[in-house]
Amino acid sequence: MPASEPSRYLARSLPRAFVPSARPQGFCLRRNVSDQASSKAAPADLNELESATSLSSTTLSEASVKSFDPIARTKTRKKQLPRSRYQFRSPKYDRGPLHPHQPPPPSDPSSRLYVPGPFSLPRVEQTYQSTVASDILTLCYVHNPPGFKPPPKAPRLRSWDDSSPYHKNRPLRGPRGGDVLRLLRKPINFNNVPELERITIHSYVKQAAQENSSWLHVAGMAVQAISNARVETFKSKTSVATWSIAPGRDTVAVKAELRGEDMLHFFGKLVDVVMPRIKDWEGVKGSSGDSSGNITFGLEPENVALFPEIEVNYDMYPPKMIPGCHITIHTSAKTDKDARLLLSAMGIPFYGKMVD
Amino acid sequence: MTLSIPLRRSAVTAARVQTTTFICSQCRHATLLRRPKRPYTFTQLITLSDGSTFTHRTTSPAPVYRSTRDTRNSLLWNPSSSKLMNVEEDEAGRLAAFRAKFGRSWDANTPTEAETNKTAEQTDKEAEAAARAAAEEEEDDNLLDLISSFGQEEEQPSGKKKN
Repeated sequence: MPASEPSRYLARSLPRAFVPSARPQGFCLRRNVSDQASSKAAPADLNELESATSLSSTTLSEASVKSFDPIARTKTRKKQLPRSRYQFRSPKYDRGPLHPHQPPPPSDPSSRLYVPGPFSLPRVEQTYQSTVASDILTLCYVHNPPGFKPPPKAPRLRSWDDSSPYHKNRPLRGPRGGDVLRLLRKPINFNNVPELERITIHSYVKQAAQENSSWLHVAGMAVQAISNARVETFKSKTSVATWSIAPGRDTVAVKAELRGEDMLHFFGKLVDVVMPRIKDWEGVKGSSGDSSGNITFGLEPENVALFPEIEVNYDMYPPKMIPGCHITIHTSAKTDKDARLLLSAMGIPFYGKMVD
Repeated sequence: MTLSIPLRRSAVTAARVQTTTFICSQCRHATLLRRPKRPYTFTQLITLSDGSTFTHRTTSPAPVYRSTRDTRNSLLWNPSSSKLMNVEEDEAGRLAAFRAKFGRSWDANTPTEAETNKTAEQTDKEAEAAARAAAEEEEDDNLLDLISSFGQEEEQPSGKKKN
């Protein structure tokens, strides 16, 4: 290459055939920066440049200034402009972690799984933040004087006493009086105040197996209407001979799972509008709950019909097919007592003996 | 030595096996990423029976929902409200007539609605008047105190100094 360097300047003035070259002059697609093509292209590029400097301001004519109205021009346009030429589209299939073309995470707006929102600050959330959370924090405060040490607790899983040689290498024993290992309840602090996590609306329609699937369709539509969320259907896991339901064969249940904004809107609607209208209703039974902070109660079909979404379009649903449902409120509380405290602060009445 | 080395190796491999979370190394199928389906929602204004309103997102297309029965006027949420407690439907005045005719020994002590209203209003007015008078007196006292203490504060230390 250094040998051919002085010939670069010659090459401009001389026709190509006369240029001395170290390389054989054959049909060659390979090109270097020092090649003739690139050296020839440079003046052509420079010709395209504007001669005037862009720093000096140009004076526009009055007419062109007055005619410039981009808003009016866009309004006269009948069709939308085409979108920009390049737009990332997520792959339609997830082909596994080793595939080079990975879909973006669901939080990315270009992802196929992206769900936009939240779009509003629900009233329940505002109430919770402004009053309920601080009230619960105050109610659950336990004062420990400085220097207080809690008495040591026995381990949750007991070890085997080595009375038998067979106890060697056994896994630890479960707690006394039952095999269930309850959730640990930590003292309620500013950063673990119980709150609503999700609400599950579940409806078991036995007629879907006995008669036809229209019961299931109606139940799905009703649950979707009251919850603002798509429902999932489930097949029976158990066999109920009297209802002629076989496991794995009959689709009998409908479930909607609500989180975030949907959940809060549903909860507000349930407490403020639907619950007071239920006839002769005492409240949620005090013994309900799974002893880990999730509380379930049921609504009869006539109570489900009280939801404003179903009421506004009541004729759409065949009246006998409106389903009842079970509503499970999952809270981040670790015990039923805390969950009940939260829910009663949010407006759900409880009655009867409170089982914690 | 010869025994211990293979033992160690096996322990290391066991630990590695336990810590891995990568379960499916040979998944050849592709899973379809379904777009989540969401029902269309509208913003609805809910008007409670006492006139308070709030908006929420709902599948119902009605822009406004007026509730006749809600937490503001149901007994379960207002257990101490006397208005909701005695729901005696006496539109024709028959029960009142019966009481006038045959006496009312069983509820003689409970005052009628008009009486309760009057008494409530009267008591309210009296209480208000008393509160006003007390406030005025207090203000006067405070002002008098201020005025009297203004001079005294200056005098007292000076007197002390003199003494």
